[in-house]
Amino acid sequence: MARARLSSSFHWMAAPAVIFAAGMIVFPFGYAIWLSLSDVALGADPRFIGLGNFARLLADEEFWNGLRLTLFLYVVSLSLQLVLGTWLGLLLARSRSAQGLVRTIMVSPFMLPPVVVGMMAIVILDPSFGIANWLLEQAGLPPGLWLSDPDTVMLTIAALDTWQWTPFVALIVMGGYLSLPQDVFEAAEIDGANGWWRFRRVTLPLLAPTLITAAVLRSVDILRFFDIIYLTTQGGPGTASTTLNILAYRRGFEFFDLGYASAIMVTLSAIVFGSVLVFTRLRRAVTW
Amino acid sequence: MKRRSFNGSALAAAALAATGRRAFAQGQAFNWRAHDGQTVNLMFNNHPWSQAMRELAGDFTALTGIRARMEIFNEEQFRARLTTLMQGRSSDLDAYMTLTSREGAIFHRAGWYADLAPMLADRALTAPDYNYEDFGASIREASTFGRQVVAVPINQEGPLFYWRKDVFERLGIAEPRTLEDLLTAAETIKAREPSQGVWAARGIRSVVPYALAGFVFNMGGSFALPDGKPGLAQPNTVRGLELYAKLLRDYGPPGALNHTFTQVTELLGQGRIAMTHESSNEFANITRFPNRAQDLGVKVLPPGRESGISKPVAIGWTIAISAHSRRQQAAWLFLQWATSRDVQGKLVRAGVAPPRASVFEGPEFNAWASEMPIRRAWANALIELGRTGTGVYQTPTDRIPEARDLIGGVIQQIVQGRATPLDAARAADTELAKLQ
Repeated sequence: MARARLSSSFHWMAAPAVIFAAGMIVFPFGYAIWLSLSDVALGADPRFIGLGNFARLLADEEFWNGLRLTLFLYVVSLSLQLVLGTWLGLLLARSRSAQGLVRTIMVSPFMLPPVVVGMMAIVILDPSFGIANWLLEQAGLPPGLWLSDPDTVMLTIAALDTWQWTPFVALIVMGGYLSLPQDVFEAAEIDGANGWWRFRRVTLPLLAPTLITAAVLRSVDILRFFDIIYLTTQGGPGTASTTLNILAYRRGFEFFDLGYASAIMVTLSAIVFGSVLVFTRLRRAVTW
Repeated sequence: MKRRSFNGSALAAAALAATGRRAFAQGQAFNWRAHDGQTVNLMFNNHPWSQAMRELAGDFTALTGIRARMEIFNEEQFRARLTTLMQGRSSDLDAYMTLTSREGAIFHRAGWYADLAPMLADRALTAPDYNYEDFGASIREASTFGRQVVAVPINQEGPLFYWRKDVFERLGIAEPRTLEDLLTAAETIKAREPSQGVWAARGIRSVVPYALAGFVFNMGGSFALPDGKPGLAQPNTVRGLELYAKLLRDYGPPGALNHTFTQVTELLGQGRIAMTHESSNEFANITRFPNRAQDLGVKVLPPGRESGISKPVAIGWTIAISAHSRRQQAAWLFLQWATSRDVQGKLVRAGVAPPRASVFEGPEFNAWASEMPIRRAWANALIELGRTGTGVYQTPTDRIPEARDLIGGVIQQIVQGRATPLDAARAADTELAKLQ
C-alpha cells in the first residue's frame, strides 16, 4: 500500500518535468507539421492545403538534388567516421604513452563551435590565400579548389565533418572497448587467433552495440548538418552543396515560403527518425 | 580625444533638445522627451550605419530619455530573426532595418510596416526641422507603397568600379572609359604581370545581381521585355551576362563563385587584385588597408561602348517601425533622430553616404571629401548614382529575392561552363516567368 502511494506521488512529482519536456518537443514539431500542411503567406494566418506542399516536393528538382546530397553526405561522413573512429579508438585504448595529452587533443575538434570550424575552413581552404594550397604547392602537388568546385565541395564538407567528429566516435569506441571482458581476447590469443582474425571475429562483434550507439548519435547530427555548410558555401557553387537543411532555410527565410520549408524539414525529420529506427532494431539484433 | 567626442555629442544633444524646446515654445506640441523613460528595441543588419549607431546611441538617450536597445546581426541571421519575430507578431521589436528595394513589397503585403505617413504629417509627433523632403524624391518613392510611407532612408549605396591606378600606370594601361575597356585591361594585366591578380566580383548567386546589373544595363540590356516579361535572353542582356561571367571565369580568383563582398573587399584591400565592381559601402573598409587610399581610383562603372549607357544600381537601406510595436511613437523619435541632418552629418565620417541632400551638399561633407582625392571621387560617384541609378535590377515580380537568385544562377552556370550564356538566360527566363 505504502509502496503504491510512493509510486503515485513519484508520478505526480515527475509530471511537471514530463509535461514541460513534451511541450518543448511535441508542440514545435506539431506546429511544424501544421505549417507543412499549410500555405503560409507572410503576415497572414496559415491556410490549410493538405498535402499540397508535399506534392510540390515531388516535382521540385532542387528537393531531389538536396535529398541526394543529404544522403551522400550521410553515407560518406558516417562511413568514414565509423571506420576511422574505430581504428583510432582501438589505438587509443591500447596506447600506454601520454594518454591524458593524446585524449585532450582528441577531444578538442568536437569541442569547437561549428562557427569556428566553418571560419577555419574558409581561411584554410580558400583557393587564393588558404594555407592548404600553399602546403600542396610546397609539396609539388597541384592546388585544389576545395569548397569552390561543384565536384569536390561535398567531399570537402564530408572531410570537415569527419575531421571534427571522428574523435567523438573514437572516444565512444575506446570506452566500449575498455569495458569489454579482457579474458575473451586472452582466450582468442591462446587459441592462436591472429590480429585481423581477432578483430573481425571477437572485437567487432563485441563492439557492435557500441558502434551502433555511435552511429545513431552521428546519424542524427549528420542529417541535420547545417551551420558549416551555410558558413562556407551557402549551398553553392550553384546548388552543389544545397542539402535539404540549406534548401529549407533558403526557402523559409530568404524566400519567405514557410509552409514549403516546413514540408522539407518534416520530410528530413522522417528520414532521421527512419535511420534511428533502423539502427535501434539493428542494435537489438547485435546485443550480446 | 574621447572627452572631446563626449563634449561634441553632448552639445549636439543639447542643440537638438533646444530645437525641440523652441518648437514647443512656439506653440507646437512636439517634444523630444514625450516618451522619457521608455526603452525601444531595435534590430539592425551588420552595416557601417548600425555600427555607428551603437556609438551614437547615448546621444539619443540624452536627448529623449529613451533607452535604445540594439541587436546587430549579420545579414542572413538578421533576416531569419526578423522573419521569425514578425511572423510571430511579436510586439518586442519596435524598429528594424529593411531593404525596401528587395523585400519592401513582400513586407508591405504582409502588413509588417507601420505607416509613417500619419506620423510625418502630425506636428505633435514630428520635429519641426525634420524636413522629410530633404531626402531625394526617388529615395522617398522606394519606401512608399500606395500612400503608405513604410520606412525612412538611412544611407545610399550602389556598386562602384574600383581600380588600382598604380598598376594601370605601371603597365601603361589607360583608365577604362568604356565597359569593354575592362576586358582589354584585364587581358593586358594578365599578359604583362601574371603575378598580379586581375579581377574579383561577387559569385554567390543571391548577391550576384547587385554587381551584375550595371554590366547588363550599360550594354544596353535589361532584365525585362517591354511588356514586363522576363528578358534575360535579349542580345544586349546576354552580352552583359557574358562579360561579367568572362571576367569572373578568366580573370577572377579561384573559388570566385563562393565570394561575396567580404572576400572581394579583402582581395582588393590586400592589393591582390587590380579591379573590382563592389559596393560604395565598402569604401571605408577598403581604404583602411595600407596604401589603398592613395593608389585606388573609384567611379561609376563605365558606359557600354556602343550603347553609351551608364545606368548603375542605386539602393539604400532604410529603417522601419514594426506594425506590431506598442511603442511606435517612441520608435518614431528614434527614427527622426537617426535620420536627422545632425546625425547624418556625423555618419559621413563612418563611411555612410548620406541620403539627405542638405548633408550631401553641406559644408561638413564637402570638407571631409576634400581631405583626399579618393574621397572626392567617391562622393562624385555617389552623386552620379543618385542621379542615374535604379533600384530595380530583376524582372518585375514581388518575389524579388527568388528572382535575383535565379539571375545569379545564370552567371554560375556560365562560369562553370554548364551552359552557354544564351541557353542559361533562356532557361532562367522560363523560371522567372513562374514568379510573375
